[in-house]
Amino acid sequence: MSVPTEQLLVLSALLFSIGVAGFFVRRNVIVVLMSIELMLNAANLAFLAGARHHASLAGEWQAEGPVMVTFVIAVAAVEAAVGLALVIAYYRRKRTVSLDQLTPTLD
Amino acid sequence: MVDLLFYVAALLSVLCALGVVISENPVQSVLMLLGSFLGIAVIYLLAGFQFLAAIQVLVYGGAIMVLFLFVVMLLNLGDPEVQADEPLFHGRGRVTGGLGVALAALAVLLTASRGTALAPVETYLWPEGGLDPLLGMAEAMFGRYVLPFEAASVLLLATAVGVMALAKRQRTKRAIAPAPLESKEAAA
Repeated sequence: MSVPTEQLLVLSALLFSIGVAGFFVRRNVIVVLMSIELMLNAANLAFLAGARHHASLAGEWQAEGPVMVTFVIAVAAVEAAVGLALVIAYYRRKRTVSLDQLTPTLD
Repeated sequence: MVDLLFYVAALLSVLCALGVVISENPVQSVLMLLGSFLGIAVIYLLAGFQFLAAIQVLVYGGAIMVLFLFVVMLLNLGDPEVQADEPLFHGRGRVTGGLGVALAALAVLLTASRGTALAPVETYLWPEGGLDPLLGMAEAMFGRYVLPFEAASVLLLATAVGVMALAKRQRTKRAIAPAPLESKEAAA
């Protein structure tokens, strides 16, 4: 694939800002968690774009980018599991997943 | 041809990401997220990262997606009647603020990617076995990055324990609470 690195970074920026928009606009906790996953994916794409660029410049492959991506994927899985467990615990108390109802429960 | 496939996959992932944010039904959001992940997996494959593409499909498209879908179905959020009292874009301030922050992030990221002044590359490296031969990754992960690797395993263990503690029902409180309800029903 001869797509330049800049275009990969532009795609990553687009996905990240869509995730940011979803994070701030939506009130459903589950959709907010999905937006966070989108942002993590955008970061992964940027890591790999950098790794490919570096490999093409140096002529040899470096493991840093892909290793970092595997760590990000592990942390994303952890974040999804903990976040969704919190959502279930929250739903059990309040019978809703709307973030607007969250503040009064903290008292 | 390969470049065309990249643009198709990029368009798919961006449109599906928009669908995640826009669609009112959470089940539809989850399926859109799956489409976005698969588009990104195709891009990984095209860029020469075969192993990470497989991991993307397995972990994101498989495990995380099932987790989201399971919770959405468990809480019955796909039901239109449950969703009816949740207007999608409630509050003008929230929507304009969120879109403003997102556009600011986009502007910053685009400026940054222009400003890094990447050295021009004539031909991108695309070796026979792809850019991520497993041997190199394994050597890095169990050599230089062994401490983060162990930290990740501890994190996963802590998550398993923490999620079980969170999801466990407090039976003592529950056992006391429903008893009066039952007696009322019996009396009625």
